[in-house]
Amino acid sequence: MSPHVESPPRRRARWAPYVFAGPAALLFLAFSLLPIVIAIALSFQDTATLGDGEWVGTANYETMLGDPLLRTALWNTVLFTVGTVPTAMAIGLALAVALNRPLPGRGVLRALFFVPMVAAGVVVGVIMSWIFNPDYGVANNALAALGLGGLPWLTSPRTAMLTLIVVVVWTRIGFCMVIYLGALQSIPAELREAAAIDGASGWQRFRRLTVPMLAPTTSILLILNVVFSLQAFDVIYVMTGGGPGFSTTVLIQYVFRSAFADARMGYAAALGLLLVLILLVFTLLRQRATRRAEELL
Amino acid sequence: MPTHGLSRRAFIAVAGISVAGALAACTGAPTGTKHLRLSSWNIPLDLESYQAIADEFVASHPGTSVAVEVTTGQFHQWFITRLAADLAPDIIRITPQQIGRYAANGSLVDLTGAVPADYRDDYSEPFWAIGAKEDGLFGVFQHTDNFITYYHRGVLDQIGVPAPASLDEAWHWDEFLQIAREARRVTGGYGFGYGWSGPETAYRWLPIVYQNGGAFLGEDGETPSMDSPEAIEALAFGRRWYAEGLVSPANMSKSGGGAVARDLFLTGQIGLMLDNPESIAALDEGLPDEWGTAPMIRNTGEASDLGGNALAVTRSSKHPELAAELVAHITSRANVVEFCRRGNWLPARSSLDAADIGYERHADTMQQFIDQAGTIPLSMVRAESGRYFSSLNSVFADYLDLCLLGELTPAQSGAQMTEAMRSVTTR
Repeated sequence: MSPHVESPPRRRARWAPYVFAGPAALLFLAFSLLPIVIAIALSFQDTATLGDGEWVGTANYETMLGDPLLRTALWNTVLFTVGTVPTAMAIGLALAVALNRPLPGRGVLRALFFVPMVAAGVVVGVIMSWIFNPDYGVANNALAALGLGGLPWLTSPRTAMLTLIVVVVWTRIGFCMVIYLGALQSIPAELREAAAIDGASGWQRFRRLTVPMLAPTTSILLILNVVFSLQAFDVIYVMTGGGPGFSTTVLIQYVFRSAFADARMGYAAALGLLLVLILLVFTLLRQRATRRAEELL
Repeated sequence: MPTHGLSRRAFIAVAGISVAGALAACTGAPTGTKHLRLSSWNIPLDLESYQAIADEFVASHPGTSVAVEVTTGQFHQWFITRLAADLAPDIIRITPQQIGRYAANGSLVDLTGAVPADYRDDYSEPFWAIGAKEDGLFGVFQHTDNFITYYHRGVLDQIGVPAPASLDEAWHWDEFLQIAREARRVTGGYGFGYGWSGPETAYRWLPIVYQNGGAFLGEDGETPSMDSPEAIEALAFGRRWYAEGLVSPANMSKSGGGAVARDLFLTGQIGLMLDNPESIAALDEGLPDEWGTAPMIRNTGEASDLGGNALAVTRSSKHPELAAELVAHITSRANVVEFCRRGNWLPARSSLDAADIGYERHADTMQQFIDQAGTIPLSMVRAESGRYFSSLNSVFADYLDLCLLGELTPAQSGAQMTEAMRSVTTR
């Protein structure tokens, strides 16, 4: 039997996937996986800078258990996420439905709603700080023009979080709208026509047909929006610095503060891993829910 | 048809050689020239001044070169990550509040042998203490700034109160609050503003504590002491600013990013402002000839904000001796004069006054700032330039905010702040 010799094209074909995937895999290893491994190692150290740390076992994790500021930051993170995610998605869906119809200037409107998503977070933060300044901001001047009293917006612990949520929702709705628009346009028109012929009202068609058909998109948007909210740093850093008091201190900001203001790199790494863990758990839960939803469709 | 272009293999070979060559060029292989990098805040005039002074240095030091860079983003993040990569610039411009941590953890180089001995004689004890620590000299203070009282001439005329002209006539707390109440009546907005520009500048309120005989840290420079009766009384004084509506709630360290006090002053919503010289240019443009200055307020004692920058050499430097020599060159008397004149800064050297600098505008006001610098207490300088201060400043911002907002009483704020500070200093 003659030995099997692969022809050069076949040999090339076998290596081709590795050659193409190699650079991306290397980048992933260097800039994603390796930093995670280093962060895990760092979370077991006590170090003020990035290096020369002292191994302290699980001390950083034990500190987390009794840290009142961490509890506050976690609670604020929940408030911020619950306030931003469903609101941005609901408004994004409403806009997508509205702009999916033949309207004059529809293209311009779609672009206008998407613009805030493109703007840099720091720029949004600075401009919004001016708009919501209680003394010379546009927001209170507008309320005054309507004969209403001004609000303290960012200067009161009772309204600061709400103001941040309003700003972040504004930046987010364009993104939700665009994703929902794409999904809406992929729903076959025959289905809606059939439902209309069967006598379903506009609301019934939306509730019983459109919403279920959008379920996979909603799942993905939910995950992405939760991730965005857990990572929201720049706008909060610029607009409130976590204040007044601790009223807008969220987890990601506490990680940054621990690392660079407090110079507790090990503790910050442990906090960062907590954030990763929350994201992982949430992603797994949503994946399971999405699979079930797809099975039901 | 024959082609005359590169074949695919030839193209890949040429590209590979080019990339290898480019990478080799990036390794910083020795070329014989000693290259230094100096990093400064992104202030165009200052960047030009540093480069001009550095060029003189290079001219008298053949075989050297100096590039001036910009410190980007949040300082600690910028510096810590560059130190970790051993890529920090040779020389950094650093504030008194930032220097302590890095002097203590070995990130900065001792300049003792490189700085001429007579430099010490031209510095006040507080300003020399910014860089001088127990185990060496880790920075030379180049220029300073502080807080005095700005007033709107029209507002003060309507109140009918003359502005104090010298430090010994400075308004005491109660006098000042009385005038602020009148100013609020005149403006219809608030009485005065305080020159914070974000959470990192919370420390600018510390002079109020020291004006009352209080202290942020005890005599040893490390024991938290914001629960002393004097400190709590100072916090209560601050609380009155907001409780009486004399200061806008938008004007706080954490919620007041940017220059809230200056904006309020420019828009006529306040008649008085405690702030540093950075406001002069904006006031000249927005309210020319309508503003004046008086000394910083006082109570049982005098104190003003510790602003300004030192120059320090980092442990990443491959030529630390040359870098230290450049620091000495930039902080020489002649170069401090030139730097302060161009950038409108206050000199850190004691022998220099406004006439020596030759400010183009507002020489009297600048002299007022220079005189006020003499009220900055040594104990406050030691506290702010100490090894824990970068962390303690965040704690101070948190509890000062809570006190000024009325979320905690002054006594509660003092006690909780001290407790939180202790968790930092005993870490």
